Amino acid sequence: MVSSTDYKFEILVSLSCRFNGVPAEERLHWRSFLVKLGAENLNRAKNEELLVASHKSVYIVYTVLGDVSIFVVGKDEYDELALSEAIFVITSAVKDVCGKLPTERLFLDKYGKICLCLDEIVWQGLLENTDKDRIKRLIRLKPPTEF
Amino acid sequence: MAQPLVKKDDDHDDELEYSPFMGIEKGAVLQEARVFNDPQLDPRKCSQVITKLLYLLNQGESFTKVEATEVFFSVTKLFQSKDTGLRRMVYLIIKELSPSADEVIIVTSSLMKDMNSKIDMYRANAIRVLCRIIDGTLLTQIERYLKQAIVDKNPVVSSAALVSGLHMLKTNPEIVKRWSNEVQEAVQSRAALVQFHALALLHQIRQNDRLAVSKLVGTLTRGAVRSPLAQCLLIRYTSQIIRDMGNHSQSGERPFYDFLESCLRHKAEMVILEAARAITELDGVTSRELTPAITVLQLFLSSPKPVLRFAAVRTLNKVAMTHPMAVTNCNIDMESLISDQNRSIATLAITTLLKTGNESSVERLMKQITNFMSDIADEFKIVVVEAIRSLCLKFPLKYRSLMNFLSNILREEGGFEYKRAIVDSIVTIIRDIPDAKENGLLHLCEFIEDCEFTYLSTQILHFLGIEGPNTSDPSKYIRYIYNRVHLENATVRAAAVCTLAKFGFMVEALKPRITVLLKRCIYDSDDEVRDRATLFLSVLANDGLVDTDKDSKEFLFGSLEAPLVNLETSLKNYEPSEEAFDVDSVPKEVKSQPLADKKSKGKKPTGLGAPPPAPVSGFDAYERLLSSIPEFASFGKLFKSSPPVELTEAETEYSVNVVKHIFESHIVFQYNCTNTVPEQLLERVNVIVDASEAEEFSELSSKPLNSLPYDSPGQAFVAFEKPEGVSAVGKFSNTLTFIVKEVDQNTGEAEDDGVEDEYQLEDLEVVASDYMVNVGVSNFRNAWENMDPENELVDEYGLGPRESLAEAVKAVIETLGMQSCEGTETVASNARSHTCLLSGLYIGNVKVLVKAQFGMDSTKEIVMKLAVRADDPSVSDAIHAIVSCG
Repeated sequence: MVSSTDYKFEILVSLSCRFNGVPAEERLHWRSFLVKLGAENLNRAKNEELLVASHKSVYIVYTVLGDVSIFVVGKDEYDELALSEAIFVITSAVKDVCGKLPTERLFLDKYGKICLCLDEIVWQGLLENTDKDRIKRLIRLKPPTEF
Repeated sequence: MAQPLVKKDDDHDDELEYSPFMGIEKGAVLQEARVFNDPQLDPRKCSQVITKLLYLLNQGESFTKVEATEVFFSVTKLFQSKDTGLRRMVYLIIKELSPSADEVIIVTSSLMKDMNSKIDMYRANAIRVLCRIIDGTLLTQIERYLKQAIVDKNPVVSSAALVSGLHMLKTNPEIVKRWSNEVQEAVQSRAALVQFHALALLHQIRQNDRLAVSKLVGTLTRGAVRSPLAQCLLIRYTSQIIRDMGNHSQSGERPFYDFLESCLRHKAEMVILEAARAITELDGVTSRELTPAITVLQLFLSSPKPVLRFAAVRTLNKVAMTHPMAVTNCNIDMESLISDQNRSIATLAITTLLKTGNESSVERLMKQITNFMSDIADEFKIVVVEAIRSLCLKFPLKYRSLMNFLSNILREEGGFEYKRAIVDSIVTIIRDIPDAKENGLLHLCEFIEDCEFTYLSTQILHFLGIEGPNTSDPSKYIRYIYNRVHLENATVRAAAVCTLAKFGFMVEALKPRITVLLKRCIYDSDDEVRDRATLFLSVLANDGLVDTDKDSKEFLFGSLEAPLVNLETSLKNYEPSEEAFDVDSVPKEVKSQPLADKKSKGKKPTGLGAPPPAPVSGFDAYERLLSSIPEFASFGKLFKSSPPVELTEAETEYSVNVVKHIFESHIVFQYNCTNTVPEQLLERVNVIVDASEAEEFSELSSKPLNSLPYDSPGQAFVAFEKPEGVSAVGKFSNTLTFIVKEVDQNTGEAEDDGVEDEYQLEDLEVVASDYMVNVGVSNFRNAWENMDPENELVDEYGLGPRESLAEAVKAVIETLGMQSCEGTETVASNARSHTCLLSGLYIGNVKVLVKAQFGMDSTKEIVMKLAVRADDPSVSDAIHAIVSCG
């Protein structure tokens, strides 16, 4: 479980499988839990419609974007509200990088850039950036436009 | 390796999309990584290879030490390239590769150069990477730069340094704490995110300094906080301060409440919900404070966004546990959420309704839930079952429909945890509502006819053995039990044999028939089953194997005298030898939970999971413990044991709590002591009690504790005599005396010589409610009418001005220490009158019932009319005396 790690907030983007901070032996558990959750609920969800669930002491906010399912998991102060803020940043950054709703192919084509975006958004469990335009510049090492 | 999770779309199946990573192989990628060493770097190619490495890492592929080192060294070469895109990738891959300490040194100079670069973004990223990979010694070297970075005018650099600080605080707190001036400056930043990160870091640095946090919050609540995220943090810190301050404000107004209330009108939904949540969680929140918060939460219940509906219903669900009446206004909105597509929301709505509903709505609710149960997962069903159990205990008259519901869902499909929750609930209901017993036992019998879980079958059989023989027609259960002997596995068969024997022993009329049944069991294929059958046949025949009737009863129904934990330890210490293990050698002293458990104390299991003699603090355990101590054995039957009262503050060297054991003419204080200092061993631990403010008590004896090692709790006792049957009250001051010996941490040996020392504990009071056991009645009206009206004693009292009726009701229930019946402890918000029904057992085992009618006038003055009926008129007098003194 995420709860056993030091990190309070995890992003799990399927395909990229960023189980950041989750011990290897628990990844599979999380993966199957989220796959089940997604299979039960995401097929009738609209793009970017946020769904929410809680599992033990953690909250999960998830959505579908084109071919991609995105799950954000958090606990304590990263509750469903903070997570929905985070997932909003993630979806807009992913859309931005891909230029449209991502297909599986498009997502994988832009894999490197998406990793960079996630690196800007969350750093080891803490939310760092929340503005997609700024993130777009940061991943190219360009300073933000307004201070 | 994990499979990619993609939404399968039929249209896509034909034009099979080609993945850029198809057929990717670690060996090949590592080969490709050699391009990093080229004298002429190709940034594009290098970035692609890094992407592939990232993909492999993220898919869970692991690199051997050699592979990782090789890749890491090659990556460091890429610092030569000036290409910004590539540099950004390099930062990321270094973090992902997380080099070992001896490798870090290779990149530190490059990163430190970047950290002082003129290019802002190099600085920000270099800080993030450095802080991820370095240790304390290197941190002191770059500390100066980090402090500068915190106040950098570029918000990205500043945030990078602050978030690094948050991470480093866990590993190097003493260094990060030195940055508080810079962080303080960053809190004033105009950049929203910098403010958010700075606030989080500053609070973490100062979290143990209450005054500083309070000052910080005081300033910020007046000023403008720019980001909603920071505002949410501020709300959390504010409520923490309110909690710490308690309700000690002079004016009666709660400090910072206005701030929380103003946040309810914030433009960000996140802030509004956070503030509403904070208000609902205030200690002793009044209905006036609660109302605005509930109103905004109610609005969110019909929000189109599931996250907001979830957040609102989750909060209301919590409020319903403490203030069910405050939530009733939202019931209509909540009922429409039962059909919410999101099952998490629907379950929360249902369980909230179960808590807030009144007796008349139970049937309607149950109907709605029946339709709902079939399409939710087991984990949600368990939540619903637990809610139904509490509902049933609240409205015992409704047990029939609730029990039927539980037995219906017990017959449906479900996993072990779910079934166990249902069985536990039925057992709890049977225990607490006597009328429900026979019906409930039959439901359980029917369940074991077709139960696939050995654990549940054996537990139910055990329970049947205890409860079944005392019912009006015990014979009807025999068929179900005996069926188990034919149809089940050996474990269940053995349990069934025990249960049969209990029936045979308790019900004389059944004995011959049970004997016949048991005789059939001695041909069982399993030796344990045969052994048990043979043993019980002998017990039933009373053929001299066991001496007397009493012994057989003890053997069949008695529980193990020693706590299981002690038995386990003794068995582990037992070395196989000629001498048989002596069960009497197991210590009978009940150890309280060690420190670690105490801190992480979770919800106590009820029902089958926790059989009635809970070994740690259950009444039975206390009773056995006290009767095993010769000094107290003559005190007669234990009437009541209070819950533990803490006599020390949390986190002190010695932690002591006390349990008050009330007897007819004695009182025993059991001091549970824990030594939390690893370097000390305490000996001859005693409590000196000064009873000068408790005149009717005289000290009789005390039993010191010989030795109290670290983190291994023990008990000291002091006994007092008091006039028989009198509910004497008084105040006792306590001092812990002991001899302290130093313990060598390496050898664990204590020194021979010790020093006498003492430790002042808090005072302890014996109050009137200590003489009352809160026992409920299932039907108050019947019980009331069955008592002699001649003995009724009515009087009126003025309770003075109060904030609300609920507060007065709570105070009276606490003063009397009685059990509230039929949910009458909850008062409708804004109610001006209320009737509360209470029941209890007074010392001398006298049944007492109380009807307390409350009324409030326009000046908030509260009057109470108290009607008491008791089997003994003098007890009615005593109850009135308690109220007039309290």
